[in-house]
Amino acid sequence: MPTSAPRSRTPEPLLQVSGLSAGYGKIGVLSGVDLTIGSGEVVALLGPNGAGKSTLLKAISGLLPRTGRITFAGQDMSKADPGETVRAGLVHVVEGHRVFTQLSVIDNVMLAGYGLPRDKRTTQVEEALAFFPDIAAKRHDRAVTLSGGQQQMLAVAQGLVRRPRLLMLDEPSAGLSPVLVDRVLAAVARLREGGTAVLLVEQLIEKALAASDRVYALARGSIVLEASTGEDDLPNRLERAYFGQDAHAPLAS
Amino acid sequence: MTDAASPISTAKAPAGWLGRLEGSWSWIALGLVGLLLPLLDDSYFGVIAQRAYIYWILSAGLNLVVGYAGQIAIGWVAMLTLGAYTTAALTAGRVGGVEWPPYLALIAGGAMGAVFGVIVGLPALRLRTFYFAMTTLGFATIVTQVALAWKDVTGGGVGTPGPVFPWPFEPGWGFYYFCFGLAALATWITANIGSSRYGRALVAIRDAEVAAEASGISKAKLLVAVFLLAGALGGIAGGLFSSLQSYITPDAFTFEMSVLFFIGILIGGRGSILGPALGTIILTVLPEFAAPLVQWSTFLYAALLLVIVLVIPGGIADLLDYKSRRPLEQHREIVPRPELLSRVLDAKGGPSVLTLANIELHFGGVRAIDGLDLEICSGEVHGLIGPNGSGKTTTLNVISGYYRPSAGELKLNGADLPFDRPHARAGYRIARTFQTPRLVGAASVLENVMIGGTIDGSGSFAESMLSLPRHHRDEKRLKESAARALATVGLESLADVRADRLQHSELRFMEIARALMLRPAFLLLDEPAAGLSAEEIRRLGALIKAISRGGTGVLLVEHHADLIFDICDRVTVLNLGKVLAAGTPAEIRSHREVVSAYLGA
Amino acid sequence: MFVSIVSYGLAVGAVYALIGITYNVMFSASRVFSFTAGMLGMLGGVLGALFINKMGMNAVLAFVLVMAAGAVLGVITEILTVRPVLKSIEQHLYVLSTLAFALMIQQVTAIEWGTEAQPFPVLIPIDPNSALGLIDQKFWLPVLACIVTIVGLELLYRKTLIGRAFLAIAEDSYAARALGLPETRLRIASYAIAGVIGALAGFTGAQMLLAYFGNQAILNFYGFVPVALGGMGSNRGAVIGGIALGLFQQAANFLVGGIFASVAVFAVFIVVLLLRPEGLAGAAAARRV
Repeated sequence: MPTSAPRSRTPEPLLQVSGLSAGYGKIGVLSGVDLTIGSGEVVALLGPNGAGKSTLLKAISGLLPRTGRITFAGQDMSKADPGETVRAGLVHVVEGHRVFTQLSVIDNVMLAGYGLPRDKRTTQVEEALAFFPDIAAKRHDRAVTLSGGQQQMLAVAQGLVRRPRLLMLDEPSAGLSPVLVDRVLAAVARLREGGTAVLLVEQLIEKALAASDRVYALARGSIVLEASTGEDDLPNRLERAYFGQDAHAPLAS
Repeated sequence: MTDAASPISTAKAPAGWLGRLEGSWSWIALGLVGLLLPLLDDSYFGVIAQRAYIYWILSAGLNLVVGYAGQIAIGWVAMLTLGAYTTAALTAGRVGGVEWPPYLALIAGGAMGAVFGVIVGLPALRLRTFYFAMTTLGFATIVTQVALAWKDVTGGGVGTPGPVFPWPFEPGWGFYYFCFGLAALATWITANIGSSRYGRALVAIRDAEVAAEASGISKAKLLVAVFLLAGALGGIAGGLFSSLQSYITPDAFTFEMSVLFFIGILIGGRGSILGPALGTIILTVLPEFAAPLVQWSTFLYAALLLVIVLVIPGGIADLLDYKSRRPLEQHREIVPRPELLSRVLDAKGGPSVLTLANIELHFGGVRAIDGLDLEICSGEVHGLIGPNGSGKTTTLNVISGYYRPSAGELKLNGADLPFDRPHARAGYRIARTFQTPRLVGAASVLENVMIGGTIDGSGSFAESMLSLPRHHRDEKRLKESAARALATVGLESLADVRADRLQHSELRFMEIARALMLRPAFLLLDEPAAGLSAEEIRRLGALIKAISRGGTGVLLVEHHADLIFDICDRVTVLNLGKVLAAGTPAEIRSHREVVSAYLGA
Repeated sequence: MFVSIVSYGLAVGAVYALIGITYNVMFSASRVFSFTAGMLGMLGGVLGALFINKMGMNAVLAFVLVMAAGAVLGVITEILTVRPVLKSIEQHLYVLSTLAFALMIQQVTAIEWGTEAQPFPVLIPIDPNSALGLIDQKFWLPVLACIVTIVGLELLYRKTLIGRAFLAIAEDSYAARALGLPETRLRIASYAIAGVIGALAGFTGAQMLLAYFGNQAILNFYGFVPVALGGMGSNRGAVIGGIALGLFQQAANFLVGGIFASVAVFAVFIVVLLLRPEGLAGAAAARRV
């Protein structure tokens, strides 16, 4: 199913991606991706393994070379490097909670504010830590001593320091216990209340749908479905989109 | 790269006799100039030419180490030093008081070089690049220090006279022809190696080490042979050098000479023989004609090295490789011909079974595989699916011997398979492909596929070196079966194209052809359909199915659910390193947990 | 004899350790071992002798200028030889590009400065009969430089945000880039720091090692041995390895002669590399297929 134009209830688009292609060397992963995210919107990006979800996030944040057009908050970001996208308020929390294990929790969060004036950095670091009291309490421990879930929260906290207008979270629930997943998704809900848009790549479909306004499905490097999470029959439509038009009988569910 | 380079390049049928002649002409011309130079009766030219030959004798061997195997041996001048002092000291009777005959002393110099070539090369078996470069550099530094300090044998800073070779190679044109003949011999044997399965294996170690291992190439054995040869040639060159110099001191062996050897090879292009030969000769001769620049020559060589590395890492030979600039046909289709499989696969082997029982593997604290059972039978396609990080590729790496599980058993027909020796898997006829195609970009597609059959030769390294009959039989057979494997996967029209010019999807099929060279009893495919079009996936599916029907057991790790459900006889679903479900495709499709895990992925 | 073995061994060891740290600082920022480490050490001595002996500058000014030259060369190394090959697929090309650059500098030195070892001036006028003059400054200067460097680096890494940014890039440059850290600028800064440390090693060690173009190859090798022994990227390992190497070398020099010392060092180096490629102190890295 092709992407439709942004809905009327979507405010002016915050992020607009069109004709985006990217890959690793010779291997093309994304081909001609179009995607729009409005201010304050939470959008889930779903898709089977190897569809290119992480690649899409990396291409948007500038971690990968890409072709196509990316506009963010009215600025052209098609050629931007990660430093520029971060400064513009487009922050990418990469998958696998890759925090710096040899540094303390507070240093990890401080680094996310590298380049900000000192006062501002201190204020915003405290703001970010306030989202996750668990790790705020361990601020002087080295990150290597945190559990996987705490490291994930630390990674999200790093993402918040810049007061992003759009936060891209890549599989924040991977390897987390259900309780911790809810904790992370609760943070997403609080962000939305505060007006921050979120692009969420998630394994747990139901939780992702519950947390989001809209959903994109990516398969084989292209957007195959775009829908509001309120629409009927979404799980079945997702299945069909995943397995392609030539899939046989729909899977039991 | 190898085009036009080696006169005996059997793998280069594309340009046919013309291409071979093209290469041969350069050698014939070089040979004629060398043979006829004494007619000028100019001893100055004679000495310059002798030095060029001597340097090339060393560089010819070093070329196999640097150009083919890709080992950065920057201090190879040490072999020249060792050979020179050994020959000189033995001839002068500085060791044991006996004056050796010069020819015998020269052989001893070669032996010394061979021994130390292997010793210095040892770290390269485990380490690459910088550490190895540093080892050879350190060795060169230390050899010079020892030469200065060990006065009894080397004469210290004062030096020692070099040997004078008696008839028939007495000083003058006799010695000239000695150097010329040995240089020609060095060229011939290294060119033979370069164009043999050993040469291709060296290049595979350089550019696609993991694929080389999976093809059964033993890096250690091969590199030891090459270091031995390169060390011996370096030692012999040293013996000749000491005679040419007539008096040697540690100052004669500067590190700058190493740079000259190294740059000669790099300019000429990696994996070529003619290029480095010309490069060495030109670098030796050039300063003679530009006297004011002599003191700056090392600086200029170093600057040249920097430019080559930054601008044309492939060497000048790459720039001249006009054949690879001819456009390929734009809309190519891969049309596999599974009907040819009966001639590619080995139907003789009876049914066999590969069993994984209760395999566990940890990376640090992470359990990558957590008690896995799996059975792959010949004649079946076994699909392995699951979300990212569920342990699919890790399982494949356990089977192919890269990882040693912390618990559990891996058995082939009831017998244990050893771990930690991935190159031994090829002997069991277990072949594999890789998630990211591993290829030798500069070699032709046919040569890439021939690498897969490296273990199927009977000729030894020495036989290939001397171009004996068994070497030719091996080459002929490998080439024929590679051509058949290519035809089977539908790439025969691209056999002579450089592999790095292929499209991604073509590389995937090329990897399958390379794996087929082992006539595999088991074939492990790691996401073969990634990056392929829908039509290509359909053809790939038919090919995989046909391979299994030919008697091979296929393990298919894949994300494309439709491909898995289309062609698999059995499917195992992994999640968090454990089997979530196993059964027929129909059973898996209706398995509730699988559907949610897979969709959630 | 014991005193001279220890004082000479410690001093040489400190120089090796500083060169090892030079390797490490560049490695942490870029995963590149650069052959320019020995070059910096060599130049520290040659430039110092040039400025003081030939151009008549005072020691302080010469010191500042030598450090500045080291920093500039570090930056040039990064721009000319490291950055271009980091983008290339064949990353080990850095071995050749850094070697080529180091050789060019060495050759210019050989031509302009000469190939003879030349004396390096006494830097600090101390009355040899005073308490400070008990031990020759050529022995304690390198040790002092090593201590200052280690303390300085510790302060940088532990107390400043930019220092933590260096550590972050060393641990996971991808994650650091994703956070928006200016990776390129931090890498240049690292190379500048490495340049200063390498030049410091040469400047303080030159009363002992002389101003000699051939020190480049020697420092390249003996400065790398502690890195190989102590584990790459580990400064503590480099200091311990460097001091141990210096003491061992001097002891062997005095007791059994120079041939044995060189051969033994080389043999130990190869054996350690073969048995524990990750260094005596380092942890084994999991193999990636």
